[in-house]
Amino acid sequence: MQMTTEELAGGVTKVVLDGRLDVEGAQAIDLKMNVLAGSKPNMLIDMQKVSFLGSMGLRTIVTVARTIKNRGGKTALYAPDELVEKVLKTSGVDTYVPIHHDLQSAVASLSTT
Amino acid sequence: MSGDEQLTLRSRLTELSRVPQWLEQVGSQHGIPADTQFSIDLCLEEVLANIILHGYAGNPDRTIVVRYRTLPKSFVFIVDDEAPPFNPLDGPQTTTATYDEMQVGGLGIHLLRQFAQSIEYESTPSGNRLSLGFAASD
Repeated sequence: MQMTTEELAGGVTKVVLDGRLDVEGAQAIDLKMNVLAGSKPNMLIDMQKVSFLGSMGLRTIVTVARTIKNRGGKTALYAPDELVEKVLKTSGVDTYVPIHHDLQSAVASLSTT
Repeated sequence: MSGDEQLTLRSRLTELSRVPQWLEQVGSQHGIPADTQFSIDLCLEEVLANIILHGYAGNPDRTIVVRYRTLPKSFVFIVDDEAPPFNPLDGPQTTTATYDEMQVGGLGIHLLRQFAQSIEYESTPSGNRLSLGFAASD
């Protein structure tokens, strides 16, 4: 699991994930994600290159979103593929962390300016 | 019979990365559709992680055996362990609970119930067997 970050306008940090968000993938990024969640105001998690998502990966996403929410910020997910989106919807995580397929609307939903 | 029809894992989380590689082989050998293969991948990860973390309680040197059977309209994946009797289907379910207070423990079982077409548990003389059925096509 690879992870890169990019600062967007409006206080939004885009986190691009690449690989399998399984047990091993979640363990690889948990610490870095938690550090970001503790310091960044809003986060957009780019899921385009995530090929697999299991319950441990869901836990990573929910933990980050909960930390950011507790600090008054927002988290959103961007462009998961069809099967990954099915996991997000089946688990109900999409009701807690919204899914967007349009980048502009995703950023607009998070932007503080 | 191919030697790849059975996968033996040690009871440690690092072993889980062998499962998708094995599934790729099985999938290409039997023409398993991509979405079905994703479901199998998901369910096996949830079941195996559950056995490693809870069934074997962190003991890293036990074994888990995964086998499969092809039927005319479905694939059945069978997971055998030697852990104390434990039926994961008896556990609590997390569905669309409020995630502010999310109990992640039950989420894997919820996914299992949604992504497998059938799930059968049986206690064996040496441990537990879980049989997961998946439709061969949509």
